[in-house]
Amino acid sequence: MAPSSRHRGVAGALLLGLTLGLAAPGAGQETAPTLTVLSWGGAYERAQREAWFEPFTAATGIPVEAARYDGGLGALRRAVASGEVPWDVIDMTRTEAMAACEEGLLEPLSPALLAPAPDGTPPRQDFLPDSFGRCAITHTLFATVVAYRRDAFPGQRPTSIADLFDQRRFPGPRALQRTPAVNLEWALLSYRVPHEELYRLLSTRRGLALALARLDSLDEIRWWEGGEEPPEMLIAGEVVMASGYNGRFFDAMINRDAPIEILWDGQVQEHETWVIPRGSRHPEAARDFIRFTTTTERLAELARRIPYGPARRSATRQVTTHPETGLDMRLHIPTHPLNAERAIVKDEAWYARTLGRIRDYFRDWLAARPEP
Amino acid sequence: MKQRAALPKPGAFRRLRPAEPASHTQLHAFGGQRHTSITVIALAVPLAPSRLPTYTLNMETLPASQAPTRGVMGMARFLALVLLGALVGGVAAFLAAGFVSAVLWLNEALLISPRSRMMFDHPGLLLAATIAVPALGGLVVGLLHRGIPEGRPHTPADVIAAVQTRRGRLPARAGGLSALSALVSLGAGASVGQYGPLVHLGATLGSLGTRLLRLGRSEDNITIACGVAAAIATAFNAPLAGIVFAHEVVLRHYALRAFAPIAAAAIVGHVIASQVLARGALFHVTDTAVPHPWEFALFLAIGGLGALVAGAYMRAILGVARLAGRLPLGPTLRPAAAGALLGVTALWVPDILGIGQETLRFATIAGAYGSGELLVVLALKIAATALCLGLGFSGGVFSPALVIGTLFGALCGSLVGELGALPADTFVFYAVCGMVAVTAPVIGAPLTSLLIVFELTGSYALTTAALASVTLASPIAAQLFGRSLFDIQLRARGLDLSAGRGRALLQGTPVGDYLTRDCVTLSPTTPVAAAMARLGQARHGEAYVVDARGRYRGCVTLADLEATRAARDGPPTVGAVATSERPVLHPATSLWSAMVALQEVTGEALPVVDETDGETFLGVVFEAHIARAYLAHSDALRREEHGTV
Repeated sequence: MAPSSRHRGVAGALLLGLTLGLAAPGAGQETAPTLTVLSWGGAYERAQREAWFEPFTAATGIPVEAARYDGGLGALRRAVASGEVPWDVIDMTRTEAMAACEEGLLEPLSPALLAPAPDGTPPRQDFLPDSFGRCAITHTLFATVVAYRRDAFPGQRPTSIADLFDQRRFPGPRALQRTPAVNLEWALLSYRVPHEELYRLLSTRRGLALALARLDSLDEIRWWEGGEEPPEMLIAGEVVMASGYNGRFFDAMINRDAPIEILWDGQVQEHETWVIPRGSRHPEAARDFIRFTTTTERLAELARRIPYGPARRSATRQVTTHPETGLDMRLHIPTHPLNAERAIVKDEAWYARTLGRIRDYFRDWLAARPEP
Repeated sequence: MKQRAALPKPGAFRRLRPAEPASHTQLHAFGGQRHTSITVIALAVPLAPSRLPTYTLNMETLPASQAPTRGVMGMARFLALVLLGALVGGVAAFLAAGFVSAVLWLNEALLISPRSRMMFDHPGLLLAATIAVPALGGLVVGLLHRGIPEGRPHTPADVIAAVQTRRGRLPARAGGLSALSALVSLGAGASVGQYGPLVHLGATLGSLGTRLLRLGRSEDNITIACGVAAAIATAFNAPLAGIVFAHEVVLRHYALRAFAPIAAAAIVGHVIASQVLARGALFHVTDTAVPHPWEFALFLAIGGLGALVAGAYMRAILGVARLAGRLPLGPTLRPAAAGALLGVTALWVPDILGIGQETLRFATIAGAYGSGELLVVLALKIAATALCLGLGFSGGVFSPALVIGTLFGALCGSLVGELGALPADTFVFYAVCGMVAVTAPVIGAPLTSLLIVFELTGSYALTTAALASVTLASPIAAQLFGRSLFDIQLRARGLDLSAGRGRALLQGTPVGDYLTRDCVTLSPTTPVAAAMARLGQARHGEAYVVDARGRYRGCVTLADLEATRAARDGPPTVGAVATSERPVLHPATSLWSAMVALQEVTGEALPVVDETDGETFLGVVFEAHIARAYLAHSDALRREEHGTV
């Protein structure tokens, strides 16, 4: 617990609320507009509520209501077509935000609305590369990583993503997501190709074949689809290594005392963005909300509650301890320099164009693979 | 010509001719500046007993800027040269980085790179583009080359020729057009390299810099080398390789005076590269992998075989270029034809398209290719590169050699693997050995190839393995084929660098530069006695017989005339006495040939006649002038190669 930082936080929120109140006099005149934020629910939404929604309401008097979805653009497409859009702000992965923006489902969003860092660093330098899209602003980054049971390999531990495929030194079944994404990247990386060349090489038949050959070399793969499955399989001892989302693994380590460890090498980061759907009823309040939640202080507060990396460098430096356990959260967020050193930057433009074909290719391979 | 203007008139030099060896005081008196006479004494000592020392007296024929200056001024001049080197390096590095990025961008936009081909989801259009893009690119290249006087792109061979013959001065227009056509070639997927154009671009830039500042020949050579070093340092992000390449391939000597500016250029290039071009290392090796001692024998053998692959590659390029002349196609259309053929082949084997970075990477991975596949891709890549370069695409030979060599090494590695127990983690050693064994002979640079491996991998084990391979590769290829592809090309154009730079220089200097009419010419009808009187007046020992129509009819010496007069019944006119035994020269005859001719002759001078009719008398070249020109050239080389500052 760090009381001083908490106080600073509240004071900052009040100050920001004042300035927002002065800057947007129209906000007070509306009959108590309620801002509806579409997000992912669960532990993530709980953290968002504490770090973002409640302080925003305290600062501006605008209540925030959270709605839950599991990604996908179908509902948004229908809402925009009908003209009745029930949400003002949506928490969306960047891949989907890019697609939705191209389809004209989103309002353009300028990074000019963002606040500078406390030391005056302008947002363009403070935010991580590629944080600004035409309609989307990244607020946090989560990662798909490999976690392993600490007790599975006495005397040694995996240090590189190639160890995921090294069954001689690290024997035992693996759990992997039933998608080509991430698995192909890791499989090819295990041949020690440079990160920069991953997608160039995966663009060739030879590269794809090499990657699948590596996956084929694993004796036993348990495929998962829901994000909650891999920590369960690790805890139950069904597998010794598993891919999964870093937040879920963290949750299992903290709240369930699971004997697992995250391997950060080769982590694949993805951006979570804020977008404003076309036809939002309160676009001005939505912009204020986005500005408020992406300040250095608010991003750092979120990262104290759930180990998702802030999109701002200044916020990453300010991340402190978990409010309940006092755990140093910096070591658990994907964007921490130690963890991010060998991260894979997902080529989302590549996936946007090729996902269908890659998926078919992967499915054919899966079908041809003999079941264990 | 500066040197011609600086030569004393034969009259002036004849006054010095009396045979007593000059004393050192005389040297001071005639030699002018103190430092010049010091050099002359040093020069004169080994040659002392002859008359030569007196000939060297008027040696300060060099422009002042080439004379070494010591002290504060010399230091300032030297530092300025280093600064100029860094400046040339900086500009060359930015151009190189821009060039590399532009090629990558074009490859993405024109559906050449695998990534763009994968992302483009229209199979029919992709098929059409695979053929149309290289063909149309070839057409553009062909049209661009019409703007170059030679009708062909300039390459590192031209840089080497400029530096080795000390002519310097790379033409900016041809250089710019060559770079542009190389950009189009590479962008459109031709199987050519990108480092050759970068080297030539850097060299042109360096030459341009010296020209703008009106500096001398030596400075020109140094700034050319600076541009070359910076281009390599940037493109590979390997500053040491850049420095060594400039010395090993372009300058071909080591001088402290040249080293500092070149090092400055390479460092600037390296810094810019690490800021602008973020690129993955060429090879990755597991830390644990160390080859078995017996594997070094295999690396040596790969070197020997690699030399043959390099030879086949070079022969193929030269052979296609020769055959191209017999095609019923104009030079403008040839690249387009090559592009179309390349595109059609690439429909089956896309690995041969473009620079081939993906192919290179896969070749270093054990199991990515089967042995049969490796052989097919290897042969096709050689054929594709020979086709593209031979039919007039613009580009280098190095990047394809990298791919070919790595494929060859991988082939050796997988054959060894099939024979016995080869651990997969030393596979990359075979690939790298093959790569070095093929590239080093092609560009004539074993040290550079080694340093590239070292700087790109940081692996000492890998570098030692490469050393084993290059030990045999370079000398075998040099014996069988020539020092490098550049040298073979230059020899075909009439510049033989195999006997070193001094001879090339003499072969590149025409005697026309030393032609004089300050000699005694006689009509064939001149009586012997009158001829002797004329010679006595002019204080010459020889006269040249030229008829009324200006045709050369032989030469007579004072001794011949004396003998004729003593014989009494001899012929009365010089026409009958004159002999035509003495070899004649043409204005274009090289200084080297003149010196060879002089070995057979004792006399004052050699007559020069018009080349077209073979008899119109143009004048003479004095033996003393030839000797002096030789010494002047040697001295200039010595200053350039051994001068410290």
